[in-house]
Amino acid sequence: MAKQTSTTGQVLTAAQMTSLQQTAMLGGAASAKTASYTLVAADAGTSITMSNASATTITVNTALFAAGDTVQITNLGAGVCTITAGTATVSTASSLALAQYESGTLYFTSTSASIFNKGAGAAATSGGMTLISTTTLTGASITLSSIPQTYNDLRLVIRDFYPATDNQTLQMTFNGDTGANYTFVRTRSTSSAVSENAGGTNFPFNDRITQQDGTDSNARAIVNIYDYATALDQVADGIFVYFDNASVTSVVTFGLTYFPSTSAAITSITINVNSGNLGGGTALLYGVK
Amino acid sequence: MTKPQIKIVNCTTGEEIVRDANDAEIAQIEQNAAKALAEKAEAKLKEKEKAALLDKLGITVEEAALLLS
Repeated sequence: MAKQTSTTGQVLTAAQMTSLQQTAMLGGAASAKTASYTLVAADAGTSITMSNASATTITVNTALFAAGDTVQITNLGAGVCTITAGTATVSTASSLALAQYESGTLYFTSTSASIFNKGAGAAATSGGMTLISTTTLTGASITLSSIPQTYNDLRLVIRDFYPATDNQTLQMTFNGDTGANYTFVRTRSTSSAVSENAGGTNFPFNDRITQQDGTDSNARAIVNIYDYATALDQVADGIFVYFDNASVTSVVTFGLTYFPSTSAAITSITINVNSGNLGGGTALLYGVK
Repeated sequence: MTKPQIKIVNCTTGEEIVRDANDAEIAQIEQNAAKALAEKAEAKLKEKEKAALLDKLGITVEEAALLLS
């Protein structure tokens, strides 16, 4: 039952009392959503469920809730549900992303600020991973900024990537640094294996990636970034896999060092292509405890 | 002309900002594109030189690979 504004002499029905008790015990009937949703004032004090096989968002706007209001959110779907700051701020000590069967409570400290308390069950134990962010790869570039510095390592997963135009190179930089501070060893298994030891102003996963034509297997990559929160020269490794219908295939394994003049923790990761736009795909960033 | 779109995802708050690229970012994008073009041209030139050399030697790519194996 949504939060009520009581008036003098108001008489509650038995059903209303039962519903209010349930809400007070953080239970009650949930408002079921199946697509991305923006919270409204009537959601104060209620429980919301999200169910969608693809990624969704719950957007939080200002001037709808009062200090002390709560909204409980549970993700029932396979797609990650991310609590997203619209015009209000949403702070959290853990993650704003809810994987399937995870839940959390939004607690408003003012009309324009809230805290998302993710359920304890979602906290990663030693060796466990927490989904920090999931985003669609479109536009000229994607920057994953303000990366929480509370994990040991990061794992970046790129799924189903393709560029907007043919024959592009997928690239990655750290901390917005486009200086010649990246050194890598890259072994590419194509029609003839190639091993390279090179450096540059970014890390190129692989060149000649074609746009999606319906039969290509789009590109996938996993990047492990170790001790990213420590201001040391950074080390990463990973694998990139891509099969093109036009017989250009690549399996790339790589090791990478990021070696800026002043060592720094990694606080942002930028993904782009060397020319034109990202065509599609998803970037998922995990924190590893 | 439409400006390139830059997406910034704040991993702490979940906030997503999509905005036009600023002048510095456009300059970087143009620099990347020019570099990509130059690399493509260089690769094409190399291919041409390779083909000319194979022609001069009177051997095929497969025969050259056999020689180097």
